[in-house]
Amino acid sequence: MSEAATGVALGYEPPPDLGERRIWIPSGGSYRTGLLSASQRRKMLNAVLEVRPDPDTRLVLLGVEVDGLRAAGRSALRDRIGFLPADGGLLSSLNAWENMLLPIGFHRGRRQREVARDVYGMLAGLGADPAALLAKLPERMSSYEKKLTAYVRIALEKPDLVLAEDLQAGLDPGEREAADRFPAAYLERCSAGTFVQLEAASAP
Amino acid sequence: MIGVYREFEGCMRLAGHVLRRLPVLALPPVAESLTRQIYFTGASATAGIVLRGAFIGTFIIAYVIEVLDADSALAVKILIWVVLREVGPLIAAVLVIQRSGTAVTTELALMQISGEVANLRHMRVDPRDYLVVPRVVGIALSTAALTFYVQVIAVGGGMILSALAIDASLGEMATEFFALASPVDFVYSVIKSLLFGAAIALVCCYHGLHPPGASINAVPKAAINGVTQSTLLVLLLNVVFAYLVFGQAFFGLVTAKL
Repeated sequence: MSEAATGVALGYEPPPDLGERRIWIPSGGSYRTGLLSASQRRKMLNAVLEVRPDPDTRLVLLGVEVDGLRAAGRSALRDRIGFLPADGGLLSSLNAWENMLLPIGFHRGRRQREVARDVYGMLAGLGADPAALLAKLPERMSSYEKKLTAYVRIALEKPDLVLAEDLQAGLDPGEREAADRFPAAYLERCSAGTFVQLEAASAP
Repeated sequence: MIGVYREFEGCMRLAGHVLRRLPVLALPPVAESLTRQIYFTGASATAGIVLRGAFIGTFIIAYVIEVLDADSALAVKILIWVVLREVGPLIAAVLVIQRSGTAVTTELALMQISGEVANLRHMRVDPRDYLVVPRVVGIALSTAALTFYVQVIAVGGGMILSALAIDASLGEMATEFFALASPVDFVYSVIKSLLFGAAIALVCCYHGLHPPGASINAVPKAAINGVTQSTLLVLLLNVVFAYLVFGQAFFGLVTAKL
């Protein structure tokens, strides 16, 4: 009998004959999973981000079986998930501030002044200098600054589940240490949330 | 043939999406994108129009008066028919294709190839809402504004330059112009230029979002497709409009009588 979905933030169960790994992450807290092959990770991310698994694959998101959901339910579930791609996933024509504001401008009707206060607070909490970062275009940002901008963009929306892809890849030791603070900072904002780091299979 | 049909269907779907999703223009990121588009297509393109417009107006008046040996009344009539109804919207459309059509197709194709369009989806932002709606509306409004600008410069500048360069009376031409020009001429050219702008933007956005490949080589190909097809579409729309207006449509309000 399959495991109950209650209390699960991310459950991904491919059919056994594919030889892929099962992922079962409980709700709340910060987790790392580094045993996924690149192709499985891509497949799982597609399933999660589209809220649509391959046939015969079981997908549980935030305690809900995705298979039984209608389109509106899938969309509502997707709204509760944030994704932090390895390269930050920023738009090259927008500066850091505009990149941070883009999704929240679409999904939430928050005042810009309130958002600015929030952004400055988050950046200061992570030891970054807002004045130096916010006007920068992605082409002038370091890998860490791109990840930081992407993290703030996600954290502003307070999703219940964050999937971070290769959070520490391409960073020097000092930046890795700084990026290591993202999950804790996120959990401070969303105490019931779940922060999952998806790392390459060969990562140490 | 199937490819042409698919592209036509894609553009029509995009047009339907734009019409349905016009309220997203109220969202701050989309409003900002709209402002940028209007600035780029409308405001920053005006400088290049002044001389072209004035020379076209002068050329028409000088040609009619000097070469055809006609009076200023006929020169102004031709100015109204040619500049207000046809050349104004066409010059604006060509300028918009040259500047904004190529820019929009290239930018969107690069965004598609580099994964930025996918990034928007990951942010739960519909790329058509953020990329297409403000561009279509911005380019349509800017084309209408540019058309008006071309008309004013070509008619006004043409009359002033003609009065200086050839033996034509500015007062006479101005009186003729105000007696002959009808508001319907302006309404006609505004509707036409809005449609031209929307058509250019839709075709260019479609080709930008559907580049013919995933390599960087697909970007110039998408730009060529966008520019050539939007030019053809503008000429086709112009023919359709001319047929409708100079036929029996518009209740015969606009007619060509010598």
